[in-house]
Amino acid sequence: MYRKQVRRRRALLAILVIGSFALLTATYGRGSDGFQRAVSTVFGPVESVASGALKPARDLVNWFDETFEARGRNEALQRRLEEARRQAVGAQAALAENAQLRKLLKLNRSGVIPSGYKTVTAGVVARSSSVWFGEVTIDAGSGDGVRVDDPVINGDGLVGTVTAVSGSTARVTLITDHSSRVSAKVVPTGVQGVIRPEVGDPDDLVLDFIDSGKRIGVGQAVVTAGWRDGELASRYPPNLPIGEVTKAPIMQQEAAQQVHLRPFADLRNLDIVQVLTGGSR
Amino acid sequence: MILTPKILARVAAAVILGALLQLCFFSQVAILQVSPDMLPALVVALGLLGGSMTGAVCGFCAGLLVDSLLMLPLGGSSLVLLGIGYAAGLFRERFEIHSMLVPPLLCMGLTFVAELGFGAVELTLGPGGPVSLLVLRDMLVQAILAFFGGWVIFLALRRLLRAALVEEPMVRPRRGPRVIGA
Repeated sequence: MYRKQVRRRRALLAILVIGSFALLTATYGRGSDGFQRAVSTVFGPVESVASGALKPARDLVNWFDETFEARGRNEALQRRLEEARRQAVGAQAALAENAQLRKLLKLNRSGVIPSGYKTVTAGVVARSSSVWFGEVTIDAGSGDGVRVDDPVINGDGLVGTVTAVSGSTARVTLITDHSSRVSAKVVPTGVQGVIRPEVGDPDDLVLDFIDSGKRIGVGQAVVTAGWRDGELASRYPPNLPIGEVTKAPIMQQEAAQQVHLRPFADLRNLDIVQVLTGGSR
Repeated sequence: MILTPKILARVAAAVILGALLQLCFFSQVAILQVSPDMLPALVVALGLLGGSMTGAVCGFCAGLLVDSLLMLPLGGSSLVLLGIGYAAGLFRERFEIHSMLVPPLLCMGLTFVAELGFGAVELTLGPGGPVSLLVLRDMLVQAILAFFGGWVIFLALRRLLRAALVEEPMVRPRRGPRVIGA
């Protein structure tokens, strides 16, 4: 009895499996046949009624799923936006850095830097918080060959001089610092003088002790004089651009022997500088 | 399972209702971005309650109905579903179901097997092509959804077919005698 049952079971299973394969073989690639059309005809109306009736439930389930998905997508988009912002800021910084480096390269190629000097490029890592904008710290030190009194330039012109050095950093006193003095000359007239800062105004320098007999005009460039007298020599090599004359009233030239100039270098926004090491000092 | 005309009608109704619900509801909703497939769970539940033959026949019929309604080549779904229905019934005939977790776990496992089977049929018959590994993730999600769906389906079917069941598949813990006035 049991064996008969087992045999019957197996036979039914075999029939079903064979039937499935037969159906597959018969209907594959032929589109709908009569049986399918009949089933669709019978169940089609039931399907449409059921589909209409279940639509609110479907919408409810889908609403939950879409809400969760939208929340996840929102978070992902926020992360991407933040990442894009960071990249944009990084790209802008890189562009600015690139522009400064190009300027430095242009200055180096122009022959302004005298032979015998080596350049050490450094980034500004700290800045004096004082309103005087007198000092910055750069990320190059004695390990890079930087020494005290080395002149420092950027792509626009003279920035200052190194006043303290550690192994990997150096302090640069800017030409706008109250203690700074730079011997300079006006080109092309060749009038010489000493530049001192107009304390509290980093955009204004004063060229003092000029020869009152020679006239200086607005817009004329001022460069380092780079004098040498026996053992004594200026800290700065000659012809490093410093700034241009902005105010040169004749009265002031004659009475006070001074004119005002604006530094070429933007001393409030220094990022990359070059230290001129070595030289004949 | 004692198959009377009334029980047969209930089983047929369950299969038809299940197929219609699958096509009109479950296939059109997304849970965790995956449409649940409850048909394998229904067939597994029928196999667990009625045995291997009931499972196989129900699977075959459910597959045939779905293929017909979807205008697909007949036989593919039938082959897969009859296989898992038969396997579920065989499990019921060979082992005792001691825990309520067994039916949903079987639904989960056999749904995964069914999805693999559907994939195999598709790949065998279809033109073929690259298959993303995301399919595996979708299948796993479907299997997990079948765990929960299978639980409900099994309990509902057991209630529907209670009159035909020879013995309760679950071994319920017996309550101890209550002593009144103790």
